[in-house]
Amino acid sequence: MVTDAYRPLSLADALIFLAEQDCLPVAGGTDLMVQAARGTGVRPNFEKTLLFIAHLQELQHIHVTDTGILIGAAATLTALLEHEGIPAVFKEILKQMAAAPTRHMATLAGNIVNASPAGDTLPYLYALDAELVLRSRDRERILPVADFIRGPKQTVREKDELLTEIRIPAEEFNIQRYRKLGQRKGMSLTKVSFLGLARKKAGRIEDIRIALGSVAPRIVRSRNIEERMLGKSLTEARTMEPLVRKDYAVLIVPIDDARSTAQYRKQVSLRLIRDFIENLK
Amino acid sequence: MKIDFTLNGEIKHLDMHAATRLLDVLREHFGLCGVKEGCGEGECGACMVLVDGRAMNSCMLPVGNIEGKSVQTPEAFCQSERGRVISEAFMEAGAVQCGFCTPGFIMAAASLLNSNPHPDEQAIREALSGNLCRCTGYASIVRAVQIAAEKGARLW
Amino acid sequence: MNKSISTPVRRSDAQKKIRGEAAYIADRRFEGQLYAKTLRSERPRARILDIRVPELPTGYTRVDRHDIPGLNRMRTVVSDHPIFAEDYVEYIGQPLFLLTGPDREQLCDLAEQVRVSYADEPGVFTLEEAEKQDTVFTDYQYRKGNVERVFRTADQIIEEEFRTGYQEHVYLEPQGIAAEYKNGILYVYGSMQCPYYVRNALLETMAITDKQMRVIQTVTGGAFGGKEEFPSLTACQVAVAAKKTGKPVVMIYDRDEDIICSTKRHPSKVRCRAALDKRGRVRGLEMDILLNAGAYNGLSPVVLQRALFSATGAYDIPHLRIRGRNYRTNMLPSGAYRGFGAPQSIFAIEMLMQQIAVKRGEDPLEYKMRHALKRGSKTCTGGRVREEVKLPEIVEKVKAMAQYDQKRIEKKAFSGIGASLFIHGCGFTGRGESDIRGKVILSKDGDTVTLRVSSVEMGQGAETILRKIVAQSLDLPLEQVRYAEVDTAVVPDSGPTVASRTTMIVGGLLQECAKEMKTRWHAVEKFDVEKVYRHPSWLRWDDKTFQGDAYPVYSWGANIAEVEVDPVTYEITVKKVYAVYDVGVPVDIRTLNGQMQGGIAQGIGWATIEVMEGEAGSLKQKNLTDYKVPTSMDAPQMEIAYVNNPYPYGPFGAKCAGELPFVGSPPAIAAAVSDALGHKINHIPLTPESLMEPDNEN
Repeated sequence: MVTDAYRPLSLADALIFLAEQDCLPVAGGTDLMVQAARGTGVRPNFEKTLLFIAHLQELQHIHVTDTGILIGAAATLTALLEHEGIPAVFKEILKQMAAAPTRHMATLAGNIVNASPAGDTLPYLYALDAELVLRSRDRERILPVADFIRGPKQTVREKDELLTEIRIPAEEFNIQRYRKLGQRKGMSLTKVSFLGLARKKAGRIEDIRIALGSVAPRIVRSRNIEERMLGKSLTEARTMEPLVRKDYAVLIVPIDDARSTAQYRKQVSLRLIRDFIENLK
Repeated sequence: MKIDFTLNGEIKHLDMHAATRLLDVLREHFGLCGVKEGCGEGECGACMVLVDGRAMNSCMLPVGNIEGKSVQTPEAFCQSERGRVISEAFMEAGAVQCGFCTPGFIMAAASLLNSNPHPDEQAIREALSGNLCRCTGYASIVRAVQIAAEKGARLW
Repeated sequence: MNKSISTPVRRSDAQKKIRGEAAYIADRRFEGQLYAKTLRSERPRARILDIRVPELPTGYTRVDRHDIPGLNRMRTVVSDHPIFAEDYVEYIGQPLFLLTGPDREQLCDLAEQVRVSYADEPGVFTLEEAEKQDTVFTDYQYRKGNVERVFRTADQIIEEEFRTGYQEHVYLEPQGIAAEYKNGILYVYGSMQCPYYVRNALLETMAITDKQMRVIQTVTGGAFGGKEEFPSLTACQVAVAAKKTGKPVVMIYDRDEDIICSTKRHPSKVRCRAALDKRGRVRGLEMDILLNAGAYNGLSPVVLQRALFSATGAYDIPHLRIRGRNYRTNMLPSGAYRGFGAPQSIFAIEMLMQQIAVKRGEDPLEYKMRHALKRGSKTCTGGRVREEVKLPEIVEKVKAMAQYDQKRIEKKAFSGIGASLFIHGCGFTGRGESDIRGKVILSKDGDTVTLRVSSVEMGQGAETILRKIVAQSLDLPLEQVRYAEVDTAVVPDSGPTVASRTTMIVGGLLQECAKEMKTRWHAVEKFDVEKVYRHPSWLRWDDKTFQGDAYPVYSWGANIAEVEVDPVTYEITVKKVYAVYDVGVPVDIRTLNGQMQGGIAQGIGWATIEVMEGEAGSLKQKNLTDYKVPTSMDAPQMEIAYVNNPYPYGPFGAKCAGELPFVGSPPAIAAAVSDALGHKINHIPLTPESLMEPDNEN
């Protein structure tokens, strides 16, 4: 069970190492170190060689442009919170993740690759159709986040690939609603999260995105349902809300676990959807 | 793996598995027991240290990630001027009961004041929400941070 | 208020703790020490068929029941918990044996290779199942007046059932204990509330005498009852291991291990029947208290007793039939936890009174006050309330602080205000104090005085408070008053650090010592004064019939809580808690406030977010990720005040304080949530899941 670890000198160096060895990339380690923990005074148990990437210069960036935001894999949640170009609603989401000390270490990339159904950043990334840059020594591919995550803890990352950058398109919304429900007000894993974003213009819905977390094996988002609301007035949206809610109900399939019940999660999700659509102003 | 970092102002050279928890390195290797293990899962904050001035949970920090960084433990921090102000504030506010959470809270308070020297109560409660205390109900700890911010205004 | 005794002083232990220099047991190192890892049952009820341990390298040892020199039972009120399992296991997590060795990683690897095979047997897990199968450990009952007649002639009978859940202490410092032999003497060090309980257990399990051992308390990072009886088990385990290996053995629990096997608050079901007269006054009460004691009885009988003797809370109800039963289930053992049974029954009586008042359209506080005990009232066990009961003043004060009347009028939807009235019996329940006969020694040596008591500092401020009592009584500067290390070779048995007895009973004895010492201060350079506790002469208690004075005196309180409930998600926000207490006289207001604030917060946790559920013998919430205690963002603002009411037998008039605040906040929160939602509340924890009613259209 003794494994090695490697601290690459550059991203290129990291990718070469990844191509040659089956290893586990580690950024902040806030999920991985706890998952591998073996108790007081005992080194956490990792089955593979660790590849440390948190220090790589090429992965630290947060670039905000007119077309979108480019976030390097080693950018911490704190760095995002302190960056003035990050949209307010995204900051609201980040601020409710864990607590400050964890956020000083944790990365957006880590939250994505961990692929938990309760991953806090995922609803936002899904709603914005974020794209992920996966690089290996020999190639690069760019995928929508929804295609990257296949299920709980499962991604399509090949073992020689590293998630190097997250690309979030620039969008304008004048209605933004985020609710995270946890077991308490301070630091909690998410029981249910709801994200509603909309842009209304001249009393009509020009764009609307709804995403829910922790209520299905993957993030719940439906372009089909959203598109039915496009162009509608606020009154029309309110009228069609029960049908919209019924359609979401089919997609919301939560579980009972140590933190909450399927019944509550489903019921509160639908209430949050209704509350959002009825209060689009 | 060879790791060089600064610990309480001194350069240290480690040679050990990079996944070793910083908490164990500090307590076992360096004998610095001001950091405590309360949970081992990043939930209680008793293991907090300052890394480049920011509080982090050492129970989930692999030493591979501290290369070139500056780590400060509670014992050393309390000797600094900022540390003395925060320590005295904890005393004055009656914020120490069993004491197990105290070093961690002092690290969290230091980290907060390093980036926000004049926090309001809400900001203080948020900044401390990664540290658990079972004895005080937090009122006195929040008060301690307020006192430290007032009394140490010019330091941050 | 006695100004000088209440005026805060600097705590003697704070400096070291702040600097990170306080040496908790996990910070200590013993020469040549071995670590111990506990192998535990994975089944809730089974016969052990076979245990296969891998070949152990040199320096690694298995320590089990065969190595125990004496009794393989943890000595406590009911000594039924095996130190190491024999042929049967009764709960998941029950200790089977230890592996000891120098390297913890190696121990982890070896532990993972252990294979145990079991023959499963049907288990009992819930109070429902236990009641059906009648797995009763203890059944107590007492009466007062003529309960049959009052129910027969009642104008109205109200029946309700209340439920409360598990609670885990989450002392920040996990359980830790160590043992070593030095010159043939067994030394046990650890995080504990009761060194003499540990000593009692070692006497039996190690088959040794007092002269052959020393139990030394190390800096204790929180306890709340969780280190009252539990360390007796771990102490015996490491002592056996130290004897077998000939080396110091250290055992520090990881948090998730601590959670799954250490004692918990007893879950309860309390059935109430109240007989009302035509003015709506409760004249008779039948209460049936069911506690889930888990797999072993341990000290649950005393928890049950305190629950029984707190059944009527702050109220004078003339006709009673109060029954309580401890049930055996194949869950981890329930044990001591701040409040010790009283929170469960006081939650029930408070919610019952609340509901009756609301049904009658009366202000719950006014309704409750109509029933309030007064000086001279008979207690539920037929004793007497001998002190002045300051409830009217307490209630007036807390109402003014909270602007209660005004807020009740201004009521907004989904926001609520609720109140609780409560008591806590001071000192050990029933015959406890006379059994313990706590002893203290005050030693003078020139200008300094040393307190020799077995009371431990565990955060509550005992070291500071007790020294202060002596310093003030002797007119000495605090710096000249020392606190001896709590080592059974040095300090006498003053009784356990429990039951909110330390300031009143132990402090009271110390004050008597000091008074006597003062008379001889100048005459003799070096001498000791010893005192042993005796109940006041007027105290009568019959332990067989549970009649008389269950406690010598009570502390009292009232809480008002304000809450908001989110109408969409049913999340609760506790906005503020107002509290007024009568603890006799505050001995150090800052320390006392610390106790009150901490107790209120723990009560809020138990009432709202601390969810611990059993599932076929297993805990669903097994770590701090899933079991949530309040953070700084969950604890509300609190406003606390006191009403002076000196107790003649307490030091400087002090009574008891530590558990009182825990008892008061949960029913106040529940009452406020009930007010916010407009329906009755019969259970805690009040999670959004339990409060949200199904939406019809979905």
